[in-house]
Amino acid sequence: MRRSGGYRKPDGRARDRTGSSDNSRRGASSRSVEQTPDGRAETVPAVTGNYGRELRELLMGIGAPKPAPLKPDPFQLEALTALEFEDVLVTAPTGSGKTWIAREEMRRLLELGKRAWYTTPLKALTNSKYAEFSEEFGPEHVGILTGDRKENSSAPLIVGTTEIFCNQLFDSLRGGEEVGADLVVFDEAHYLADEERGHVWEEAIILTPPRIRMLLLSATIGNAAEFAAWIAEVRGVHCGVVTRPGARPVPLRAAFLMPDKRLVPLLNPQAKLNSEIARLSEQDQRDRGSGGRGRRRRW
Amino acid sequence: MKLRMPEMPPGTLLAALGSYNLLPAIIFLPTRRRCDESASEAALSRRAAPDERRAARHEFMLSFVEQYPEIRKHRHWDAIISAGIASHHAGHMPAWKLVIEKMMSAGLLDAIFATATVAAGVDFPARTVVVTCADRRSANGWQSLTASELQQMTGRAGRRGKDRVGFVVAAPGPHQNPQRIAELLSAQPNDLESQFRATYTSLLNLLDAFGSFAQVRRIAEKSFAHRNLLPQIRQLETTRDANETRIREALKLASVQAPVATVRGIERLANARSRLLESAPQTRREARLRWLHKWVQPGRVVATGRSGKRLTLVTARGRDGVTGVREDGRTASFSLERTGRVFAPIFSTQPDKIEEAFDEIHQRGGQLALPEPRLSDHRGEEESSIKLINDLIDSLAGPHGEVLWSLQPEAAAIEQAERQIERLRADVWEPFERCARVLDHFGYLDFELERVTDRGRWLADLRVDRPLLVGEALQRGLFGALNPVRAAGLIAAIAADEDRDYGELELDDAIVSLLVQFEEIAFEVSTEEWKQGVEAAPGINFSAAAAAANWTAQAEWIELVHETRAEEGDLVRLLSRTGEALLQVAGLRESHATAANTARAAAEIMLREPVR
Repeated sequence: MRRSGGYRKPDGRARDRTGSSDNSRRGASSRSVEQTPDGRAETVPAVTGNYGRELRELLMGIGAPKPAPLKPDPFQLEALTALEFEDVLVTAPTGSGKTWIAREEMRRLLELGKRAWYTTPLKALTNSKYAEFSEEFGPEHVGILTGDRKENSSAPLIVGTTEIFCNQLFDSLRGGEEVGADLVVFDEAHYLADEERGHVWEEAIILTPPRIRMLLLSATIGNAAEFAAWIAEVRGVHCGVVTRPGARPVPLRAAFLMPDKRLVPLLNPQAKLNSEIARLSEQDQRDRGSGGRGRRRRW
Repeated sequence: MKLRMPEMPPGTLLAALGSYNLLPAIIFLPTRRRCDESASEAALSRRAAPDERRAARHEFMLSFVEQYPEIRKHRHWDAIISAGIASHHAGHMPAWKLVIEKMMSAGLLDAIFATATVAAGVDFPARTVVVTCADRRSANGWQSLTASELQQMTGRAGRRGKDRVGFVVAAPGPHQNPQRIAELLSAQPNDLESQFRATYTSLLNLLDAFGSFAQVRRIAEKSFAHRNLLPQIRQLETTRDANETRIREALKLASVQAPVATVRGIERLANARSRLLESAPQTRREARLRWLHKWVQPGRVVATGRSGKRLTLVTARGRDGVTGVREDGRTASFSLERTGRVFAPIFSTQPDKIEEAFDEIHQRGGQLALPEPRLSDHRGEEESSIKLINDLIDSLAGPHGEVLWSLQPEAAAIEQAERQIERLRADVWEPFERCARVLDHFGYLDFELERVTDRGRWLADLRVDRPLLVGEALQRGLFGALNPVRAAGLIAAIAADEDRDYGELELDDAIVSLLVQFEEIAFEVSTEEWKQGVEAAPGINFSAAAAAANWTAQAEWIELVHETRAEEGDLVRLLSRTGEALLQVAGLRESHATAANTARAAAEIMLREPVR
């Protein structure tokens, strides 16, 4: 284990953030590639053959990048800096490193002897974060609270479901114990829009005492600024919005697999539907018009 | 522009993707069954292909068996090891899903067939995401994917550090629509929309903490939902203020020394006057019906028939109908309109007293008949009210009648804006008030005093999905003589999704009668909820009760799965939710010591492998 005792001491905050991230992230993600007996993910076949120009362009660059140290994205550092003086809403697509921000901030707080609460919407996610943080910070520093699991509940870092966090807020309002946290992280904060359970996120945001710093990690949403403005109004603390520019960490290309198993780009250079697919749809309509409902296309 | 083609056979699809080096891939399918079938089918077609990762997969799986023995017996065990293909959806056990996720991250799998639930929450990316369907299945049938949902899916495409590019591949399917997929890909992400609502738990906790409805309302109005109404409220306020300004300026221009309130007062009076005029009876028939409505009451004798001589003693009155007893003792029903004269005295409707009533009418009928109404009487009544209003308007308007009258449209606009503002303001709070009335009815809250009762305090601590039902079961002693098995059954009956079927396991008579009692309570609760306009909780699930009772009676997992014919993932969810709810009951040591002990015992048995 890398850290069996406590957390690593930083030489300086900024350096530690870039430095430790390299180790922790690469440790977790690149190891699996190296150990994999799967050669395919590593090799980049030249896109040649009888592919047309269109397809060559679509598939250009497919494969694994050259191994390079994973540097934190500027938006991750921006979020960390903002957290020093305000609440922060981070909106970025899955897999772009939102958790890294939370982890680095929690590391900093734990080193200062402070406490944090990490909420997730799902039990499975809670369990996996508990395992992840226990390895990162040492099991004695992490506790877990879900509806049916309660371990090390006085630890400085608690991972749990949002419902349990909200219950603690209710209890403390009714004269119970104060919620002992200096930071609360809402992972998957866009669950606020969940029909069944979304109200819990709203209650938690409204009832969390302003002294507790709030970090919300959300998928990309249309009204991030409005959402942050609401949080700021309710809590009386400014809430910054940090968005990953360029949206995705790995670019996305869209394709369509034709019934004859040919891959074609979904869109034409004008970002409209590829006319070949449009023709296929028309053909399909015509077939159905003449052949009646019972006729099914065979592969 | 739909493309209603069948899905490609999964083996063909994977071969095509493989030929373009697009694996590993996550293929999204609309149903759990399609995922399982496709994984098995694809595995068959790939079995013969050489794959040097088989040994690694086998080793990987075995390393998990120690911790999660249940995965060894999984029906997809072979498919995964031999073909590197898995199915992943909410019907699988949590442990199984975890293994799949880890194997995918380790690069040992080529394809996962998954429902959209994968898109939310768990994180296992692939090089390619395949979308076969532009719709998704919801409780209300097929619905178009939203931009955010598609984005959650494509968010899995392209592994950071392992892929330079990620791909989303639309493939043919019965609900495919390439045009829509193209549009959704370039669409702005959806707005986050508030789902704030009143719950018993939040109301009880907040009222207990803050001590008044006004304070709870203040909290409710901090919600994102309320904030979203504010622009509308602001706009109405602007309309209102603009009209006030217009009135003020017009008054100034005409040098009338009257406040805006005078103009608004006249508008309200005029409004009341026109409502009076509208509701006044216009015909003799209307005037007469009103009169009948007022006077035909049980115990009175009325005359019917063309000659007006057939007498009936009224025993019951509906809105438009009359029921009574005739002189010959037979029952008669007729419409109110057919009533002729009405006699003043009110007699007893006891069968032995009926004769006395008719005798009296025969003797003194002429004097006892109530005077018939005249249209002019009614008119007179209305007219005197109208005259009063007219006088009030005159005295308010004074010598400036004309100017003040000309400003009536503005005054009416102010009135309307204020009513709408009031309605919007109440939008978020009103549901809380309705919940409060239901809780008041069952004694958990005192509506007049704005206080949570002692009973309500423990209910506030009971954080379950349907606290009021569980609360009433406790309150009425249903938990009193329960053993853990029955307690588990009882709680499972409401922890389950209402319409999910967990098979037809036998239930013993004691549990059945307990559930019937519980169902009666549920009916009573939902009747009150319906009355107060609170969305009533769904019914209770007997098959879930049976499954949970069996499990708590130490049934074997394999047998339980077999006998309930439920999917393992659904069973785990039911039982762990039940266990959680039981632990909540177990927390009520002070108010319900016996029930708490039973619940704790039940939860401990219930939350054993593989449920926890």
